[in-house]
Amino acid sequence: MKALEPGLVPAAFLVALSLLASGCVHVASYERGILAHPTMTSGDLAGPSEAHVRAVHEGAVGGGASAESGCGCN
Amino acid sequence: MSVGRVASRLGWLVLGCATMSGFLLAHAQSADAQTTGAPPKKKKPKATPSASVAPPEPPAAEPPPPAAEPPPPPVEAEKKPDDPAKEKKKDDEKPKESNVSARVGTEMGAYTDTERVTVFTPSIYGAVYNPTGGWSVSGSYLVDVVSAASADIVSTASPRYEEVRHAGGLAGEYKPGDLGANVYASVSREPDYLAYTIGGASTYDIFEKNASILLGYTYGHDIAGKNSTPFEVFSRPVDTNTFKLGLSYVLNRRALLTFIYDTILQTGDTSKPYRFVPMFGPGVDVKPGLSVQHVNEIRLPERASEHVPGSRNRYAFSMGFANRFESATLRIDERLYTDSWGIKATTTDIRFLADLGQRITLGPHVRLHAQTPVNFWQRAYVSKGVEDLPTLRTGDRELGPLTSVSGGTYLRVYVGGSGDPHKVGLGLDTYVTYTSYPDDIYIQSRLAALGAFTLEVNF
Repeated sequence: MKALEPGLVPAAFLVALSLLASGCVHVASYERGILAHPTMTSGDLAGPSEAHVRAVHEGAVGGGASAESGCGCN
Repeated sequence: MSVGRVASRLGWLVLGCATMSGFLLAHAQSADAQTTGAPPKKKKPKATPSASVAPPEPPAAEPPPPAAEPPPPPVEAEKKPDDPAKEKKKDDEKPKESNVSARVGTEMGAYTDTERVTVFTPSIYGAVYNPTGGWSVSGSYLVDVVSAASADIVSTASPRYEEVRHAGGLAGEYKPGDLGANVYASVSREPDYLAYTIGGASTYDIFEKNASILLGYTYGHDIAGKNSTPFEVFSRPVDTNTFKLGLSYVLNRRALLTFIYDTILQTGDTSKPYRFVPMFGPGVDVKPGLSVQHVNEIRLPERASEHVPGSRNRYAFSMGFANRFESATLRIDERLYTDSWGIKATTTDIRFLADLGQRITLGPHVRLHAQTPVNFWQRAYVSKGVEDLPTLRTGDRELGPLTSVSGGTYLRVYVGGSGDPHKVGLGLDTYVTYTSYPDDIYIQSRLAALGAFTLEVNF
């Protein structure tokens, strides 16, 4: 959890970016057809009902690719 | 409420959902399309690291072979070229294939739990998008019909209540090249709560589209009120600023890696006006999981309303991994969270989605969540009287220590024509959650079940 300190996160991003840039296979655009499968989306596969249940049941928020708004649900 | 009754109630609610959905002409499933209007599945392979972070990039076109020397045309066959105006007219008369596609959908969700809470959530959404133009527009609307009377609210002698929430949102995205942007706005309204959200994000593809960086900002303005009381008489504004930093990376031809970091700065009083926290005299033995009647017998007579800090800084860091096998997909997401109130949480979400032929996708879903309490959490707040109330106090069990284990299934059945089965899809999601509250005064566990039926149509 200490890694979550706000000042450390941008640095962690830069490190991750550097590692990824140097250590991964370069994939040409015409080789990425498999990655276009709908189940490979970076979005959440949960529908609005499941997302709402999570928002009410868990004390944590964030970390998703999309915006989250208040609902006064808790 | 017994587990059997929960299952029975859920079954009836899901059956009702399925029946109602038969009268609707839409579908709702893909979360990426809802937020980004991502193109449909059978367009040209799009290969950016993140469908929502970066729109599709058509495959690189192979250069055309050099043109062969054309043979000289026979003299007899030689014709004068037609009038250019006529040629243009002919072209205009040809039917042109539109690059604009659309998707509409609906989801009918039904929830119930052992605390006698039931929620019925019908929702619809639609999206219009142009994959080659790189733009999309989408909208959504949902209704929550909540019937509840949680233990801590019962303890204040409040009756069981029913409430309806309406929420709608609009989003747009434009990404003609490496650089793209999206904007969105949403409104959520219920009798005692109003929430506005606006935001936007920019994405930029790097490393020849093997990675994509996301920068986003969202502003939310909530107004918490009291039922049957105008906001002019009682309201508590809450402002939320969310800063999002994301990175998606193509690991190889089959795998994606995504990082998201959120900083959420919240100001305003989020204390629930209906929630009262029981106070106890010094030395009173208060065990977890007591009945309301028992608590009322041993607590002090004063009723202290909930009071939480006026600001909260929340930080979430998540990492997602997705790998596509020959006919299945594995998704693993991990979120680490902390905030200025002292909560530290971990959330792990795992899905395995297997294709059973061209028309069925089915798979299990597991989610684990554990968190520590806020630093002002107490199962039993001690007081010597009205003048000696603890400054910060809460009865919200989601601010206490808890562990939840969820399991469910994801099912999609595609019933479109033989040429394109994915044009019409039916879905059924089930989700059962067991939550343990080891330090809550009223309950020690909760079992909840959710069923959601979806119908999806692509044009």
